[in-house]
Amino acid sequence: MSIFLKYILSIIIFFPLLSALLLVFINKKAEGLLRNLATILSLAEFVISLFLFIYFKSNTYQFQFVERFSWIREFGATYFLGIDGVSLFLILLTTLMTFIALLSSYKYIKEHVKEFVILMLVLETFMLGAFASLDILLFYLFWEFMLIPMYYIIGIWGTGRKVYSAVKFILYTLAGSLIMLFGLITIFILHYNQTGNFTFNLLKLYHTNIPLTLQIILFIAIFLGFAVKIPLFPFHTWLPDAHTEAPTAGSVILASVLLKFGIYGFFRFAIPLMPEASIILTPVILVLAVISIIYGALVSIVQKDLKRLVAFSSVSHMGFIVLGLFAMTAVSVDGSVLQMINHGISTGALFLFVGMLYERSHTRLIADFGGLTKKAPILAALFMIAVLSSVGLPGLNGFVGEFLILVGSFKQYTVFTIFATSGIIFTAVYLLWMFQRVMFQDITNKNNENFKDMTLREIITVLPLILLMFFIGLYPDVLLSRINPTVVHFVNIIEHNKYAYNLIKAKMGLFNA
Amino acid sequence: MLDLTQMYSEYFLEKSLLSVMPEAVLIIFAFIILLLGLFKSIKNGENSYYIALIGIVFSFLYLFILSNHTIHGFYGSIIFDKFDVFFFTVILLSGFLTILLSKNYFDTRNVLIPEYYSLVLFSISAMMLLVSSINLIMIFLSIEFMSIAAYILTGYLKGESRSTEGAMKYFILGTFASAFFLFGSVFIYAATGHLNLYKIHNFIFQQSYKAHYIYNSHTFLAIGLVLLLVGLAFKMSLFPFHTWTPDSYDGAPTPVTNLMATGIKVAAFGIFIRVFTSIYSFNILNFYNILWILAVLTMTFGNFAALLQTDLKRLIAYSSIAQAGYILIGIIAGGYYGISGTLFYLLAYIFMTAGAFGIVIMFENLKLASVDIKSYYGFGFKYPLTAAAFSFFLLSLAGIPVTSGFMGKFFVFSAAIKSGYYWLVFIAILNSAFAAYYYIKIIVKMYMVDNQSNNNSIADVINDSNVTVNNGQMEIIKENHVTSALVIVIILCLIFTLILGVFPQPFINFAAKSVTSLWNI
Repeated sequence: MSIFLKYILSIIIFFPLLSALLLVFINKKAEGLLRNLATILSLAEFVISLFLFIYFKSNTYQFQFVERFSWIREFGATYFLGIDGVSLFLILLTTLMTFIALLSSYKYIKEHVKEFVILMLVLETFMLGAFASLDILLFYLFWEFMLIPMYYIIGIWGTGRKVYSAVKFILYTLAGSLIMLFGLITIFILHYNQTGNFTFNLLKLYHTNIPLTLQIILFIAIFLGFAVKIPLFPFHTWLPDAHTEAPTAGSVILASVLLKFGIYGFFRFAIPLMPEASIILTPVILVLAVISIIYGALVSIVQKDLKRLVAFSSVSHMGFIVLGLFAMTAVSVDGSVLQMINHGISTGALFLFVGMLYERSHTRLIADFGGLTKKAPILAALFMIAVLSSVGLPGLNGFVGEFLILVGSFKQYTVFTIFATSGIIFTAVYLLWMFQRVMFQDITNKNNENFKDMTLREIITVLPLILLMFFIGLYPDVLLSRINPTVVHFVNIIEHNKYAYNLIKAKMGLFNA
Repeated sequence: MLDLTQMYSEYFLEKSLLSVMPEAVLIIFAFIILLLGLFKSIKNGENSYYIALIGIVFSFLYLFILSNHTIHGFYGSIIFDKFDVFFFTVILLSGFLTILLSKNYFDTRNVLIPEYYSLVLFSISAMMLLVSSINLIMIFLSIEFMSIAAYILTGYLKGESRSTEGAMKYFILGTFASAFFLFGSVFIYAATGHLNLYKIHNFIFQQSYKAHYIYNSHTFLAIGLVLLLVGLAFKMSLFPFHTWTPDSYDGAPTPVTNLMATGIKVAAFGIFIRVFTSIYSFNILNFYNILWILAVLTMTFGNFAALLQTDLKRLIAYSSIAQAGYILIGIIAGGYYGISGTLFYLLAYIFMTAGAFGIVIMFENLKLASVDIKSYYGFGFKYPLTAAAFSFFLLSLAGIPVTSGFMGKFFVFSAAIKSGYYWLVFIAILNSAFAAYYYIKIIVKMYMVDNQSNNNSIADVINDSNVTVNNGQMEIIKENHVTSALVIVIILCLIFTLILGVFPQPFINFAAKSVTSLWNI
């Protein structure tokens, strides 16, 4: 058991890859076996990852389950893994969502099943690796290769203009990450010039002393890489296309995990590496965040396509998370991290429901639906919960995160927060209006006369998410108590740099007061 | 500096012969193949293929035996040191892969087979000689030796106009380049009075320390260096001197294209590093800036031109021009890290390029004769392993992590940033992002059939019907033409591309060790 716990991160990261290798040897024709085996293996992976949660010490900000091996001695790159409160929950989210995505694709993915499940498992490995690595080069390796399976998933199993969307997705994110690589190498070399040691160890690179002008340039370079992933307002255009054309499982993974890498990147890399620059550029980023919130919400209102609507709602929600992160108070950052998980759960669920609607009626246009409540009461009820969670109804998870973000940001950036709050109203408008048009009123489309309710498999698919919505909404402390030490430490780093700029006036603590 | 008297005292024939042992072995085997070609039974069989492989293996063996020695030979024209060990390994690997790729390639074509393998061996030995030369005349001779073999090999498909055209272009332009090189050597000789790189180095080194001394021959030296650079840039196919590349790469038999794109290019870079670090490093005329511009132009041009290609072979030809630009960045960065990064990149480069050409040969054997990218519809699911391997090579060429291409780029770029070339790296990174598009385009064609565009244009519909015919043929031809040798090449390249991308440490050590011997000048 002790050895298991010692190497648990490596086991978690490479288990899906080994599973994928196992699946390579199974006959292409045995689709049922492939699906079942992949799903069971991903469930096993989720169960293994729960050990992290059980053995995680919640009273420290230090990295836990650390593994460190020599990798490229010449350049001081190491195989260095470790997690803190933030990456813990993102890893759990990843393993859970991969399982759910595989479970949701039983009906949707009809051809090339073998390739699909293999790619999903490979994708999982790289996502987990990126969340767990504390070595910049290792992180970059996982981070950039992640694009490739996603690109295949969108391009092969997508609908409509899938090739266009897939190529747009990969080129946008690739360009962003390459510019980010430039920034990371520059920091690496700067650290070498200052200390005479090559190292990619993130914890050592934190102490690099970067001149302010260079810091701002580098921050912008790295910002581009992460902002494309989030996606923040002017860099978001790949997202609606990618989401709309991707298969349901792809959309779920994209929305619930891949987008989080942008925020995670800011949290783990950009801000601690270049604290002064991030403090100086905070107003700019907050403006972009608020624009994302309001723009995303307004554009969502006028969408005719269900999936596009949910995609644009992601832009809006991610804006909130950026706002909370860059407000840089303990409360707002807590809220941001929690909201990352919440957004993964809620938006993932929304995409699952949209996928179910699409599987039944082969259309995603809102106008083609209406009156489904009578035909599919279970679907309607569960869909309603997901929608309300996304809207931010108290008692469900979305409320906790948004509330913390807004409370934490209000004192620092009052005007921005007021504008952002208006986004919540718009969120209610587009989501509830959408729900009304899809589910209530009378059946206008004849095709929907035979609309079927959810099957057992589909209920199992969404049930964990629905339960989590209630759980986090009612008792968020399970998460927050583990997230908080990390966040407080993060805020302390920023505080440490504040005296020169005097921007952050007081450390607010809701949970550590 | 170097003790010249001690160097000369050691010159006797045995030692000289020892210094060219790996090359000599290859030449002996090349002659054996030629002689055995007299017998009819051997002439038409596969024996020459096996003899060539054995020759390469023996050469490896001698390389391994000698690998810990530093031997000077032939009155200071040849040196065998750690630097050579690395380059010999890379060149021999490239030759080994080329010979494997050649098996059965000429079955359907009416050409002389034993002569082909002997020519390949000759050209490999010439490349090795080139890298180990340290005398300008010796360099010139090796370049000519290598090029003449390459000219013949390029035009080896008798009667095919593209092959002949490629050979002709290569020959005429190549002769010009050699003339430039020779002319440059003359100027350098006029300026310094030496042909040996070490002596030229020492001469310039001494001159540069004479304060207030107006060095009369400075102009001659500068002209000589520029001309020398032109001659070498031609072989490395850098931008303004690249024009022969696409045509001869396209026209040549694909195994030969592989040899030109990997072996010859590696040898050219090898000798360029030797010459550059010994002579150019004094920065007469600011050669770093000239190379800077050449690198940027080469990358940008190669990528833009590759973007417009629809023929796979031409696309890889142009992309190999762009790769040369990236490799050059390492040399510009210079120093221990820059050069070792370059060597690593070269090693990575031969595997990914040979792998990609292996797939191209597979396509050619499958009678997708045009090698038009458009004809790959649905290939991905019909031959999943082949297509996956091909995608992996393309991703490696594009520089996506987990592949050797990323590690190579990473080492080279880091070294360049370390030397302060921020803009160069920035441009290179933009180039890589741009280049990713045309590599991805091929993957799109293999896996993602875009139904909409099929229905829209007539050309696509015709193309589609062709493909169905081709698909019918594919099934039949598959058994005969995907030879085990081809499979071995692809698997080897795949493994090395992955290992170099994930565990580069041993290879970096190897490259670094060879660089330290270069620094002993």
